[in-house]
Amino acid sequence: MIDNLINAALVFAVPLVLAALGGAVQRRSGVVNIGLEGQMLIGALFGAILSGLTGNWLAGAAAGALAGALVGWLMTAVITRLSANPIIVGLGLNIVVFGLVGYVLRTVFEVSGTLRIPGLQKLPELTIPGIADVPFLGAVLSGKDPLFWLAVVLVPVLAWTFRNTSWGIRLRASGASPASTTSLGIRTNSVRDSAGIVAGALAGLGGVALSLGAVGLFNENMTAGRGYVALAAFYFGRSHPLPTALACLLFGFFDALQIRLQTGGGVSADLIQTIPYIAVVLVLAVTGFRRSRRSSRVAV
Amino acid sequence: MSTDRSIVPGLETAALRSEPFYRRHLPLIARVGVPVVISLLVGAVVLAASGFNPLSIYSMLGREAFGSLDRIDATLAATTPLIFTALAAAFAYRAGIFTVGVEGSFAFGGLSAAVVGTQVGGLPPVLAVSACLAAGLLAGALVALVPALLRAVWGVDEVVTTLMLNFIVSGVSGWLVQSYFLAEGQANSATGYVASAAELAPLNPPNQTNGGLLIALALVVVYAIWVKKSTLGFQFAMVGSAPRFAVAQGLRVRLVIITALVGAGAIGGIGGASHTLGIVHRYSEGFSATFGFTGIAIALLARFNPVGVVVGAILFGALNSAGSTVQLFVNIPIQLIDILQGTVMILAVAQFAVPRLLRNRRKRRGATVEPADIPQAAEKKLGDTE
Repeated sequence: MIDNLINAALVFAVPLVLAALGGAVQRRSGVVNIGLEGQMLIGALFGAILSGLTGNWLAGAAAGALAGALVGWLMTAVITRLSANPIIVGLGLNIVVFGLVGYVLRTVFEVSGTLRIPGLQKLPELTIPGIADVPFLGAVLSGKDPLFWLAVVLVPVLAWTFRNTSWGIRLRASGASPASTTSLGIRTNSVRDSAGIVAGALAGLGGVALSLGAVGLFNENMTAGRGYVALAAFYFGRSHPLPTALACLLFGFFDALQIRLQTGGGVSADLIQTIPYIAVVLVLAVTGFRRSRRSSRVAV
Repeated sequence: MSTDRSIVPGLETAALRSEPFYRRHLPLIARVGVPVVISLLVGAVVLAASGFNPLSIYSMLGREAFGSLDRIDATLAATTPLIFTALAAAFAYRAGIFTVGVEGSFAFGGLSAAVVGTQVGGLPPVLAVSACLAAGLLAGALVALVPALLRAVWGVDEVVTTLMLNFIVSGVSGWLVQSYFLAEGQANSATGYVASAAELAPLNPPNQTNGGLLIALALVVVYAIWVKKSTLGFQFAMVGSAPRFAVAQGLRVRLVIITALVGAGAIGGIGGASHTLGIVHRYSEGFSATFGFTGIAIALLARFNPVGVVVGAILFGALNSAGSTVQLFVNIPIQLIDILQGTVMILAVAQFAVPRLLRNRRKRRGATVEPADIPQAAEKKLGDTE
């Protein structure tokens, strides 16, 4: 039973981790990505369609990442080049994407809401021989799909990239102080655009993890606010890869717990769903409190 | 924030005022017109790509929005909640406070009004309605109280906290309905219907437009007067355009911040209550069809101007009401409306080259800069959240 819970928590966390890491990258570049939800949805749709057309999950994953990247780039370009407010653009993007996806489902595929694609190949489950039967380790490591392992690998890779590559350093500089970064001759907007592309691609992959994961179909409501939970996660993890991923794991655990409680009764599922958001408010409050203790300036 | 940016349309200098009408309002017209026109173009492309004639669909939308008295009535009914949410957003943005939490206040206000409304059957209508509206107001303000205090006391960025509060409110509302206020014999989670004494009567039965529209318009008038005449209205403008200067001048900045956020929540809460009492008569899941977010788009398009708020709300209300009936005649998914709305929302905050050129030209001529928008202030703030 505990094994089941752990397994479910990890499976639920994968799309969150991918999207939240994307959001963290973009947050580091100085842009808050509220559009993760829409980028996930687009990724999920294209992943399902291409996997169905080619019968190959890898093609589906690539298509999902590309579609997400394109949307992420468009969104970021509006923010950087037309100096639009990122929050509104993100909220608007989610509305547009939801509308477009629903429209296309109804006109092109002539279904309302759920798209089942014949020949769709789901993500393969990689069973690790020898470990699969070990009680705890088996639940953690075995039977996971490739995107789970991508999420695991991305955490140290991103941390290393932030620290050691010129792109990572420019990225952080653009976020920390755009004015001085520009004065050093770095094109802040281009750096931010590239971060937007990466974020979109990762969010798209997060969507692929949903549509090609356990169920193997597409539904227009399948992201169900996960983009916003991912947003909560990178705020909670203060845009550092490991804390962000751990936050996702925590939220994934609550998700798994909530489904278990729904069948078992007890605490309200509605209340458990609010935990990620309450956590963010608390984190921001504590951060603000500490900062106000340090500085003597009037908080405005 | 650069000091030459005033967010308040009323504060342009006399030099700008003395210009001819068309030139004075050209940036405003471009600002509103460009997003709307581009969105319609985007919609046209989508329609054409899926085999519909955009012109005939748009003319059908126009007919369905304003074609007859009944249709105008439906449009006004769809406009009413948007006036509340747009006004709430405009109220806070005037002080440079960028709340996205009106959605939550609207929903919680609606729930409270529904709960109170089921209990006030014995009261005379005026009292029953007032009690429900007061409940909505308090609930909406309550939702905004936490972000307001966090912002005023510890300087916690209100954009993220208000966004998060929306989700918290949605979860808490669902829990409250499930655990305490569930109507018996309902398949989906909804409260019972409000007592008939607490309903806002339709102005022209059996159509839907109701007393809520009058409340909304009254609030707009109060807002317009408050902006021009009151001390606090002036302080809002001061804090919004130059917060550090306002602190240095000894303005009660904290009071302004709290008033802006809680006031926006209260207006949103009244809006939710009016939506309950006038249209749906109960609270159920999915109570607010993203009215709070559409209100943000309207407030930004209108540049916080009271008349603009009403016009923008009618525009979006028309889209909503026409969209839901057009899909009955032609096989067009209602999602088309989402595409149009979202595009307007995105473009409403984008700064295009034309206004920018105009602004530069004006700068060279030595007049003030046209009102730039608040999003930049918010973006600036987002930079130092951590």
